[in-house]
Amino acid sequence: MSRVTRRLFWLIPLVLVPVPLLLNPYQQYVVNTALLYVPVGIGFNLVVGNLGLLAFSNVAYFGLGAYTSGVLMAHLGLPWWLTVIPAGMVGGVAGSIASIPALRGVRLFYLAIMTLAFGELMRWTYIRWEVLTGGSMGMAVPTASLFGWSLDTDRRRFYAFLAIVVLIVATTDRLLRSRFGRAFLAIKDNEIAAAAMGIPTDRYIVLAFAWGGAVVGLGGAMFAISVGHLSPISFDLTELIRQFAIIMVGGLGSLTGGIIGAVIITAAPQVFTSFPGFDELVFGLLIVLVILFLPRGLASLLARAHPAFVDRYYRD
Amino acid sequence: MRITQAIIAVVAMAGLATAARADSTQGITASTIMIGNMGPFSGPQSTFTPLNYGPEAYFRYINEQGGVNGHKFVTVFADDSCNEAKGIAAAKKLIYEDKVFMIMANPCSGVAMAIKPMLVQEGVPWIGASANPKISRPASPGIFHSTYTGIESGRAMASFAMGKPGTTKIALAMHSDDWAHGYCDNATDYIKGHNGEIVATTALEHGATDGTAQALQIKASGAQAVMACLYQPELIVLLRELQKYQVDVIVLGALGADFDQVIQAFPNHDYLKQRFFQPYQFKAKIGTGPLKKFHDIFVKYLTKDELPKVGEPTNFYYFGVPAAIVTVEAFRRAGPNPTRESWEKAMESLKDFDTGVLADSETFGPDKHVGVEKMYAVGLSAQGQETVYKAWGDALPDTE
Amino acid sequence: MMLSLLPQLLVSGISSGMLYALIALSMTVVYRATTVVNFGHGDMVAAGAYAVFVFGLGFGFPFLVAMALAIAVLFLAGFATQRFLMQPIVAGPHLSLAMMALAVGYTIRGALRLEWGTETLNPSRPYPQDIYMFGNVVITTDDVVICGFVLLLLAALFLLLQMTPLGKVIQATFQSQRGAALVGINVPMFHALMWGGGAALGAIGGVMLSMITPLTPDLGQWTLVQGFAAMTLGGFGSLGGAVAGGILLGITEKLLGFYANTVFIEITGYLVPILVLLLRPQGLFGRRAIVRV
Repeated sequence: MSRVTRRLFWLIPLVLVPVPLLLNPYQQYVVNTALLYVPVGIGFNLVVGNLGLLAFSNVAYFGLGAYTSGVLMAHLGLPWWLTVIPAGMVGGVAGSIASIPALRGVRLFYLAIMTLAFGELMRWTYIRWEVLTGGSMGMAVPTASLFGWSLDTDRRRFYAFLAIVVLIVATTDRLLRSRFGRAFLAIKDNEIAAAAMGIPTDRYIVLAFAWGGAVVGLGGAMFAISVGHLSPISFDLTELIRQFAIIMVGGLGSLTGGIIGAVIITAAPQVFTSFPGFDELVFGLLIVLVILFLPRGLASLLARAHPAFVDRYYRD
Repeated sequence: MRITQAIIAVVAMAGLATAARADSTQGITASTIMIGNMGPFSGPQSTFTPLNYGPEAYFRYINEQGGVNGHKFVTVFADDSCNEAKGIAAAKKLIYEDKVFMIMANPCSGVAMAIKPMLVQEGVPWIGASANPKISRPASPGIFHSTYTGIESGRAMASFAMGKPGTTKIALAMHSDDWAHGYCDNATDYIKGHNGEIVATTALEHGATDGTAQALQIKASGAQAVMACLYQPELIVLLRELQKYQVDVIVLGALGADFDQVIQAFPNHDYLKQRFFQPYQFKAKIGTGPLKKFHDIFVKYLTKDELPKVGEPTNFYYFGVPAAIVTVEAFRRAGPNPTRESWEKAMESLKDFDTGVLADSETFGPDKHVGVEKMYAVGLSAQGQETVYKAWGDALPDTE
Repeated sequence: MMLSLLPQLLVSGISSGMLYALIALSMTVVYRATTVVNFGHGDMVAAGAYAVFVFGLGFGFPFLVAMALAIAVLFLAGFATQRFLMQPIVAGPHLSLAMMALAVGYTIRGALRLEWGTETLNPSRPYPQDIYMFGNVVITTDDVVICGFVLLLLAALFLLLQMTPLGKVIQATFQSQRGAALVGINVPMFHALMWGGGAALGAIGGVMLSMITPLTPDLGQWTLVQGFAAMTLGGFGSLGGAVAGGILLGITEKLLGFYANTVFIEITGYLVPILVLLLRPQGLFGRRAIVRV
């Protein structure tokens, strides 16, 4: 695929720019939610899909990023744009911590349970550390601002989010197409062989976890101001299943997959608000069907349709 | 480089018009009034949906009578799963897409608090069943509580318990969420303000199947009464443990459990007699006396899926209904061409208005947006009869 | 420090521990057979509890019949899940296996909620509730029934595995699937049967739960967490470890809850796996599940 085709991908954010003019606040809110879940899907996919490790602690990074942003705004009065980087950093640190069992050699289901427990412990912390987080009553997040420009409507937040997400997608894409991305792939295929070839697996594992955590943390910071109210229930196991659905439906290990999954999984439940009570059942069935019949997600369908969508791990 | 171009384009297009405030006849047409009924129709809190169906039944009943001043009610349901993020999306859909007049029911306090800023900003009225007192205090335009909040319930729980002579040592058993705090914090305030003492605080989480540690802590603390701010399953678990260890306390449950169902969970209710009580919202036993009319309304106007699978309409249906009753009355007073402002004024004009359901009558004012205050209590008498009490030892005559 | 209550706490701890042991055991059976942890197991246990309710109060069968039917239904469910949903993807990434199991569990929970979500079902009481006092310690009929039943079950399983030819086959396949295949054992069928067996054992746990606690569709989530914690504590993959881990977990919960603070009860199930990993990764009786390069 030529560089020209690659550049065409940059049209997508440009095309999105005038879209908010057509949307009412509700529709805009849904679009914003889809947008902020893109980095969540990308970050989760990085560790679970690209690196191939069963790290189920994603919701922890999401929640930590959201609460970092919210707490800094509410308790220290910082404007939102100053809290974004800390949120990412906290997510990154949490990711590094979660990588410790992986470094010790823990794999598969044992790792899954461990990282799941980490996520739930974080949720318990949000509930118990009431002074900071408002406990289970939750906390209101003050209105966001970007360099003094108030982000008080969904439309304005859209543009702020779009800028951040474009940055995240671009940098993660660079990462995946560099030697790091290739190393992740090698570790996923055969860790022992990769180490034998001289790849410093430990370092790269931490990198993947940290980057994934940071990116998801950034998603959390966006979540905080989009919803405007943080409470621990938003970061429970149902949220984990939603994030799983994103990467499974979108496509494991695929950057495009993370994006597609985020859009579909956010938009789909809105269709179901008229049929309440079905969403658990439908979500579960959806994942079952996707695993059985489309194990590499929708991104694999796109890849079959046009070579432009095939993931590449080299710079061109 | 490409990134910078994209960002510049984004910034250039930004800063466009903000959303306009919803106008004062949103949701009102010449012949209809659109109501947004939001609640946890899915997820673990879906046991509270009778709070949504109660008022809906009343609206259907009023519609069959011809509506109010020529207007009939149209309801749009929205699911929040008791999740704030989902609730905000649902509220935005109701306000900006379905363009409802008001939001009703909304049993989940967390969601209500989360959408409140949006409601106030857009001027959309709200009458809900959620217990967090901060929703309606201090009074915000359009936000009303026509039923008891945590303050009244917590006070009722504590004052009833302390009405038993010699009761000063109280223990708490509560969930860690805002709902439980809404009851237990207010009970605690009352207790401390009346020379009582909190001797133990125990936590019981959602889904817990065992309360041994909690029951033993309560026993060891020498408590004479327990404020149990718990949902129904956990309340049953706690009572079972207290019964097992024969802990001599009276237990006040909160409004998250259905009294009859709790009693039914214990085939032998000896332990519960004169021991288990709940604050009681209604003027008579549900389904009897003045409340029979509502029982019939529920049974006639709700579908099979909206009614309980087994048995009669439960407490929560009756608890949800006053919101609709006061709404309809306010529309009646607002005349044939209601607007949001005229409806709100009408609401604030209600004084000593008897809903026919609640123990207290409704009184609102420009700064008073919580209509009721006085509550009763319900418990089992020494003979095992479900009895409504005005205070400890003071039973309502026709219920004993 | 109220040490006088220690015996009571221990007794209660063992009683709930027996239940955890049963659940951990049922999960371990599945894990040993197929090296997959059934993330949907908790919801199957909950389904077992609801099944007993449906057959008992719904269809009116006597309790033991309802229990037998519930176990049979869950056996079939476990079997079918493995045979039709897990087996086809067994060659794929482990994530898909974990997710499939989780999704199946989530679907079951959704179905339970759709049908019974708005009500809380009261526990069924097939036997009279008595209380026995041993000094200061209170023991209820529930405690006796659960402990007795689980112990009987464990004894039966032990006999099955050690004394019968079938048990030998099971042990052999646990140890080496390739070897078993070489001697003519139908390994895929074995997998499906073990999933069925694990689900059936889980159903028994569900039945026990339905006797002592009100039923909600979310019972499965809590059950899963306790099961994990017990398995990790006892040593992943060890049958005896699962039992020991379960009992220890029950006791720890009670002690921590009473002497420290009741807020810890909720997270004991999460703290335990993390602490075990940090201090002794193979648990009490397990083998190291570690990849070292």
